[in-house]
Amino acid sequence: MSTLIVIDQPPYGSWAGREALDMAFSLAAFDQSVSLLFTGAGVNWLRTYQDTQEIQQKSVERNLAAASVFGVEAIYADEAASRLYRLMPDNTMAGVTVIKDRAALLRQHSHVAFAG
Amino acid sequence: MAATPPQHYTLVITGAPYSSQAPQTALFFARAAIAAGHTVDRVFLYGDGVHLASALSAPPSDEAHWSTEWAAFLNENNIPGVACIASALRRGLVNESEQARYELSASNTLSPFVIAGLGEWVEGTMTSRTLYFHSGG
Repeated sequence: MSTLIVIDQPPYGSWAGREALDMAFSLAAFDQSVSLLFTGAGVNWLRTYQDTQEIQQKSVERNLAAASVFGVEAIYADEAASRLYRLMPDNTMAGVTVIKDRAALLRQHSHVAFAG
Repeated sequence: MAATPPQHYTLVITGAPYSSQAPQTALFFARAAIAAGHTVDRVFLYGDGVHLASALSAPPSDEAHWSTEWAAFLNENNIPGVACIASALRRGLVNESEQARYELSASNTLSPFVIAGLGEWVEGTMTSRTLYFHSGG
């Protein structure tokens, strides 16, 4: 079984994305196959040089950097959303796979869960 | 309605009662599933959904009390109701052991709901069909 966790909400506006990330890390901790897809405004999670000091929240950029350590298999970004939010290779964190066909990616996974 | 093969379900509720219809929709689904011969293995409360397990909500008497309706349903059908511990502690839902651990003034988990880790959800995804009830935006 493989799970795709979809994050389509921007970082910091709510805790939904952060708690979706906890779901992904939890699956990985139990040796379950899990990947993340960022789409819509959710692609802003992947932006580099996030400075969260002023809003007193932990940087999701730093949280995400731990994904491979936890065993999350892949981090995908929707190409159209990346273009819309001007995420280019020089301002996107390393290790992200940009995909064009979201439907194909969803079909590759037996279980898909969205951030609330 | 045509009969469908019996299924095992895990229900995940992420929407809070009274902010969203998620707990109500999930309850109506669960009742219909049981009535049709299916099995609900567990209900997992995540994010704002943990508010459903609060023993302290007191809606007006002419409104549905979703926490007690859910608790009665879980008791009648012997279904475990689990609130995610990380979500719960952030939002002020604690049981007696967490009250002692964090030296808090009260606990407020409504029986038969319990507080446990995300492993309960992981197990649900492995052994049953998992459905999500979100706040609906």
